[in-house]
Amino acid sequence: MDETNNLITLEGIYKSFHKNDVLNGVSLKLNKHEVISIIGGNGAGKSTLMKILTGVYQADHGEMEIAGEKIENYHPAIAHEKGIYLVPQEPLLFPNMTVEQNITFGFNKSKYEIREETRKLYKTLGWGIDLKRLASSLTIAEQQQLEIIKGLLRNAKVLILDEPTSALTFSETKSLFEVIKKLRDSGVGILYITHRLDEVFEISTHTVILRDGKITLKGNIRDFTKDMLIDGLLPTGSETKHQDIFEKKYTGHMDKPPVLTVENISGDGFRDISFKIYQGEVVGLAGLVGAGRTEIAEAIYGITRCQNGRIILGEKDITKLDINEIVDNGLSYIPEDRFLHGIFPISSVRNNVTVQVVKRKGFFINNNYEKEIADKYIDRLNIKVTDHHQEMKSLSGGNQQKVVISRILSINPHLIIMDEPTRGIDAAARNDIYAIINQLKEIGFSILLISSDLEEIARISDRIYGIYRGTCNAYLGFEDINTANVMKAAFGTYEGSESYVDI
Amino acid sequence: MKEVNHMSIYKNLAKKREFRTLIFLAVIFIIVGFINTDFLTIGSIQNTLKSSLLFIVLVVGLTIVLLTGNIDISVGGTLGLSAAVCGLILKNGGSIFVSILAAIFIGAAIGLINGLGVTKLKISSFIMTLGMLEITRVIHVIYTNGQWVENLPAGFKQLSQMNVLGINVLLIIVLAGITAIHLFLTRSRKGRYFSAIGDNIDGAILLGVPVQRYVIYSFIASGVCAALAGLIFASQIGFISTNAGLGIEMTVIAAAVLGGVSLSGGVGTVIGATIGAVIMISINSALIYMKIPAFWNDAISGLLLIMIVVTDAVLSRRADKHIKKERLKARVLKEEVSVNHAHAK
Amino acid sequence: MHMLSKIPKWNLGLILVLILEIIIFGLINPRFWNISILLNSFNDFIGIAIIGFFVTFVMITGGIDISGGSIIGLTSVVIGILSQVAGMNIWVAIILAILAAGLCGLLNGILIAYGRVQAMVVTLGGLLLYSGIAIVLIGISGVSAYEGISGFPESFSMIAYSTVLGIPSSILLFATLFIIAYVLLHLTKYGRYIFLTGINQDAADYAGINTKKVIASTYVLSGLSAGIAGTMLTSYLGSARAEFGSEYLMSILTVVVLGGTLITGGKGGIIGTALASIIVGFLQVGMQMGGISTQYIGLATGLLLIISVALLSISSSAKDNMKKLLGLKI
Repeated sequence: MDETNNLITLEGIYKSFHKNDVLNGVSLKLNKHEVISIIGGNGAGKSTLMKILTGVYQADHGEMEIAGEKIENYHPAIAHEKGIYLVPQEPLLFPNMTVEQNITFGFNKSKYEIREETRKLYKTLGWGIDLKRLASSLTIAEQQQLEIIKGLLRNAKVLILDEPTSALTFSETKSLFEVIKKLRDSGVGILYITHRLDEVFEISTHTVILRDGKITLKGNIRDFTKDMLIDGLLPTGSETKHQDIFEKKYTGHMDKPPVLTVENISGDGFRDISFKIYQGEVVGLAGLVGAGRTEIAEAIYGITRCQNGRIILGEKDITKLDINEIVDNGLSYIPEDRFLHGIFPISSVRNNVTVQVVKRKGFFINNNYEKEIADKYIDRLNIKVTDHHQEMKSLSGGNQQKVVISRILSINPHLIIMDEPTRGIDAAARNDIYAIINQLKEIGFSILLISSDLEEIARISDRIYGIYRGTCNAYLGFEDINTANVMKAAFGTYEGSESYVDI
Repeated sequence: MKEVNHMSIYKNLAKKREFRTLIFLAVIFIIVGFINTDFLTIGSIQNTLKSSLLFIVLVVGLTIVLLTGNIDISVGGTLGLSAAVCGLILKNGGSIFVSILAAIFIGAAIGLINGLGVTKLKISSFIMTLGMLEITRVIHVIYTNGQWVENLPAGFKQLSQMNVLGINVLLIIVLAGITAIHLFLTRSRKGRYFSAIGDNIDGAILLGVPVQRYVIYSFIASGVCAALAGLIFASQIGFISTNAGLGIEMTVIAAAVLGGVSLSGGVGTVIGATIGAVIMISINSALIYMKIPAFWNDAISGLLLIMIVVTDAVLSRRADKHIKKERLKARVLKEEVSVNHAHAK
Repeated sequence: MHMLSKIPKWNLGLILVLILEIIIFGLINPRFWNISILLNSFNDFIGIAIIGFFVTFVMITGGIDISGGSIIGLTSVVIGILSQVAGMNIWVAIILAILAAGLCGLLNGILIAYGRVQAMVVTLGGLLLYSGIAIVLIGISGVSAYEGISGFPESFSMIAYSTVLGIPSSILLFATLFIIAYVLLHLTKYGRYIFLTGINQDAADYAGINTKKVIASTYVLSGLSAGIAGTMLTSYLGSARAEFGSEYLMSILTVVVLGGTLITGGKGGIIGTALASIIVGFLQVGMQMGGISTQYIGLATGLLLIISVALLSISSSAKDNMKKLLGLKI
């Protein structure tokens, strides 16, 4: 009886990349009529687990059964055949093809058959994307609908939704939930990956919490409350990821005028954000990926424009300035995506260090000066290079990040925005970067730290603003900061200390 | 609801570049026809089409390559070489059939080499075909000893002059061929692989498209089309000079772009490209009918090309920005929701 | 230390090819070893070389400029019309013509950098437009397009034919522009910005570099260099014609790519372009002396182009593979 109901069984799945253990024995069962929410912070192993489920990765260890049948030599084509379909967070559509062409691409069925089936699906789901529209004209919600339709037309029995609501409006989310309920009733099993705890209670039948490659909590949703989920996300006292090698102490100067004042700025991806940063402190913007943190940072740095509000650096209004003027005024930014926006991969380490400082020098390149600067920072930040003509792309992630930090320190800014400074960096280099941040604040630099590693942000920030879905909804003073509170702020459930918001 | 659908159909149609180009072509014809009614006679229109035949065939092949996100500069060289080979075979007493086959074979071989260079040696298609252009030109000259190939047999020249019901047979064949290729590229499962590769190469790989093979196919198609254009050239003109097809590649690329084919791949149809080619040639004959000196030709085509692509780039960038904005906006918590939220447990 | 990039090695290879070329052509025809003939041959490819220098700038930013050849023709016609038809002083005419060439480059640059239209498309339109304007100018001024405009003053032809201390002016021009281009690209902040923009335009923007201005400026330089090349060619051939330079396109791109500049941007150098242009230029001279038809030069340059790019791409991917292997072992 149970056999016929079971869609997927995972038993003790292990997976590691280059000695980095991502999954440490995950066991999971999905039956028909179930919607299992999978919750976990960034780097908890969710996406690796999904890739194993869809055959993109092979597990190192463990067993997998689909519909009671043991699976060997699994790969994406078998996943499609067995009806396991992933709706990725960023849909992989052909933007210049119509909706219909996207549905039928690579499908061995007549167009009329598919059209008929699509029509039926539209009817049951209550959706109706015009088949003639170009995929590039679809909203993200429609793109996701299209991906779901693609999956269902291929007779998906298991649908994996990867943070499907991250870009949906309220009403779109509602209609998606209706669909999920209908699908659930019709027997489809759904794995629902999310950050949003409200949604977990709204649509799932079961929930699973993944942390550091292990399932720390699972069961029927009726047995849980939000606080229990937050507890499940927290590290248990003995196994904190980071070794505290220094005591955090507050070195800010809140008595002096603020270095940066952000007043009620709104823009694409965020609304009505205000905060202040004083000299010598690390201020954290805690939030999940897609919460709008990077968009706020980019607006402050002048990459995008705010629709309203003011940004004041020192005493100067920088709201409408260009990037190069803002840099000249003493604001620097370490971008979130190091490879896309931070480094010059086929240039030398030295040129990467001196990118910004050469602007202050004369028309001609001064080799000795550049060498001096490069040597100084390679030594100071302990960057591991063979010599400074080494190509940037051959460095490890941690050393690349240190080069980016050197580049910014070389122009001696008043305020540094660090967006995910430790992403993709190994533990040792991570500790180096924490140490650097601490030294900087002691010297008197101000730092705005953005991170989705909530333990990290709790550990090094002096004050924290919580960003949830584009709004600033929580403030944590120096004393309020602990991982649980940060977690709550990021998940939009922090309620204490409301009175401090107007600091 | 129905009206909305109609609206969106019109909107979609108006958004299509080929449609805009077609209207543009119509405008040219109307304005010029207004000034000189001779321009609108069947004979004149047929003449314009006949002289664009060569360009149409070239642009169709090029479009297939452009759809995959590559480019083929070597078409002019392939045209000249295959025309010369065909011509020499004919002059040495070979049959028309053999000479045509030989030309097509050469076009396919050049395309294959281009395709292999681009996919296996990972040479950028621009450089690969640029080099191939030079090489084919030289082989052409060596092969013909630097002589013009003249005095082609009348039977061969006749091929491009045959009429059925007063319409040029070659024209009918070419238009039928374009329709077939258009249907293949837009309707068939495998035909759509070409634009899928240029549209989203990662998506195409994920869905199992053999990308390298189809890129090679596209170059072979372009080579064969260039060879066919060479045959048309030889048959229409009656002789092949050593610089046959010199500089034609730029006109053909311009025609494709004018007809709505994107140089970054994934966008465009062979029909649009065909209209683009007809426009390039119409400008030429329109000037004659308007009694404007022919020396305006290049300046007008160049200006047109720049204006059209700049407008297009600005429009599409605006659309992209809008989509990104919508995406980001959707993430932001709405005010009323946030109030509810604050009170929720 | 083996990281000392492939560009110096590439230049070494070019020097070897050049030496081999001189030896082989000399063995075929000893007249090739006559220094003054070799030096005078610079007149035949000076245009390709100096445009090549600045197209190198453009290509390092990740762009391409195929309009240089038509700007040559336009400059030539503007000089001819201003001085011979409008009766302007020849030197003023030259300055105005070079400025016009710069304007053509500026139009390219603005559309590419600020309008963000693909460089290939814009300069293709430019290729048609600028040569089109030249033809129109010839047409409306009533000059015969076949004969072109001639009858320039003696002093004008001195530009191409004079010598200073026995050195032909084409060599001096080559050297001057080589030095300017080299200093700009390799020794100044501006040159550094060009490389950084080509390697990662987004990162350069984030670092506060005005990449649009940098990109647009390279097209202006490329246009100006085509103007100078057009002036030189008009002086050398003694007449002004619209189709001058129309066959230069392939050679310009060949010398830049053969010189080791990546078509995807970010890497390249002026020394490589200079060596490559001398190699291609001598090839032409040598083949002519060897009694080989000039037509074969295209074969040689075409093969050189494909082989050099294949070598560049193979060697870089081989290096990457090696690195991966080494990386795994460590």
